[in-house]
Amino acid sequence: MLITGIKSRPVYDELTPMADGLVHIAAAQGSGGGPLLRLLGDMTPEQRAATTVLYSTESFTGHNHLAALQAFDVFDLIEFPSNAAAVSGLDALLATARMGTRLYLAGSEGFIGTSMQVATSYGMNRDEVLREHAGSFVRRVWCAHCSHYSENVTKRVFQCPGCERHLIVRDHYSGRLAAFQGVKADGEVPGELPDNEELDT
Amino acid sequence: MTATPESVESTPIETYTPEGEYLFRNSREAVRRLPFPFPDDEYMYSMNLEPHVPAGDGALMAAFDIDEHYVSECAHRAQMLREMPGVHYIALPHMMEAQWDLLELIFESYARDFPEHFTLLKNGNEWRWQNRPLGIDDVFTFGDPTTLPMDPMEYATRQAQGEFVVLEEKDNTLVIGAGMTTQRADYSLQFNMGMNFAEFHGPVPKLHEMGILDRALKFLLRMKPGHPVRRVNWSLTVHPRLETSVETLPEWAPDRATVTPENAGEMVYLRIELQPLHRLPRSNGMVFPVRTYLVSLAELVDHAPDWAKRLHRALASLDPELADYKGFHRYHAAAVAWLSQHDDGAPLATGYPWIEDGIQPGGN
Repeated sequence: MLITGIKSRPVYDELTPMADGLVHIAAAQGSGGGPLLRLLGDMTPEQRAATTVLYSTESFTGHNHLAALQAFDVFDLIEFPSNAAAVSGLDALLATARMGTRLYLAGSEGFIGTSMQVATSYGMNRDEVLREHAGSFVRRVWCAHCSHYSENVTKRVFQCPGCERHLIVRDHYSGRLAAFQGVKADGEVPGELPDNEELDT
Repeated sequence: MTATPESVESTPIETYTPEGEYLFRNSREAVRRLPFPFPDDEYMYSMNLEPHVPAGDGALMAAFDIDEHYVSECAHRAQMLREMPGVHYIALPHMMEAQWDLLELIFESYARDFPEHFTLLKNGNEWRWQNRPLGIDDVFTFGDPTTLPMDPMEYATRQAQGEFVVLEEKDNTLVIGAGMTTQRADYSLQFNMGMNFAEFHGPVPKLHEMGILDRALKFLLRMKPGHPVRRVNWSLTVHPRLETSVETLPEWAPDRATVTPENAGEMVYLRIELQPLHRLPRSNGMVFPVRTYLVSLAELVDHAPDWAKRLHRALASLDPELADYKGFHRYHAAAVAWLSQHDDGAPLATGYPWIEDGIQPGGN
């Protein structure tokens, strides 16, 4: 089973204003505030006035861009204490969104991935969404055996909180599950664990 | 139309699970009709696509082959779906048209190729489907899912051998939208659902570097309904276990550590995958079936000695990276050692067995 070098990890964009958008939603988490600041700076005043910013202050690396974001004159800025709350907030906002809405996502892979799940559920196409990765490449991992999702995984081998198996994290990414795949690390000979290593975070 | 399926009704229920004690055996005829996938002594990974037209007198005579294991395999599928709901069959909501395409393709093919077992009667959209081996005689309205007890794809593939993945064409690639995969070789349908062609081939080594993927995708996107193509693939597995998904890996992977040069003949199975790809007419989707055949190394030696020799040589010269990807690096050497006792080194024919002058099973 191939563990490393699998080419299914998403390729990310750079956030730039989408000129054909009538309404803009910009959602970010932690370090993702950086790309958002740049995006807002690149927007026209009209675009900014049509932009709702969602920002989660939960951060793996400790970066908080809230104060700088508040300096922009946008339609609305909503602060969230956690990434999960921000994704729920995005869900609620998209439920009322109209045609011509453009979405910008920035932050960790887990945040972008779970936000994309929401966007996809509203039928948003890839050309209506831009995604920019920022901060650490900590991974969201799906356990193939018990379906538990682990956030912020940094090690190649870790213990699943759901089923307590030792999982090896494959470089294999599912956009639908917004997660990498974790598979029992000592599947063939129980107790025979592969060498652990830091993931490319 | 083929010699083998007449034994469909008389086959006792075989099992593909440890609880069922792996009561799976091949008859001599079943072995000698296999789509044996090694045309040369040295195995090279390749796309090896060819038009899916009837060929030879074995598994490649029908559009969708069935054999003596048909009833048992359908029973196994029902058991897997019952035990792990939501894991082996998934269809995204927008795939309904492709589901009907697939039902039509399977039922028309079975009725045409095995009229002694299946009959499809059409009166406009009012269809009657008779499946004698499974004792099914149903009437339904084609295109109206309320007239079937379940999704059309689930209904049809519960009565079919092999697994079925349906892809939609989108943004110049093929995206997985539905699957009936109770006999997966080491992947997860839940995880792969929604992936495009490059993404779901991500874990296959060498493909990207060799440029095979891009060429294959370009070829597939030009496919038209009514002109299927096929390829064969293979792996090794331990025990006649059909369901080897990533999800259940903790149950079956330990078996890999129990193979020895002494027991490899009984424990190690060649897993042959016949993959006939069809473009679907209404949805413009693509169905990617994987018809899996299991045969133990000992059965090959007994019933197809030349194929056993060929397998020995192909395994002995295999790239270790492929053995790792296919999951048998731990018992690769044991399988080769066991097979070496049955290879006298005599020259063998080249080419697939279903082409003229290709490698035949050998023996009598």
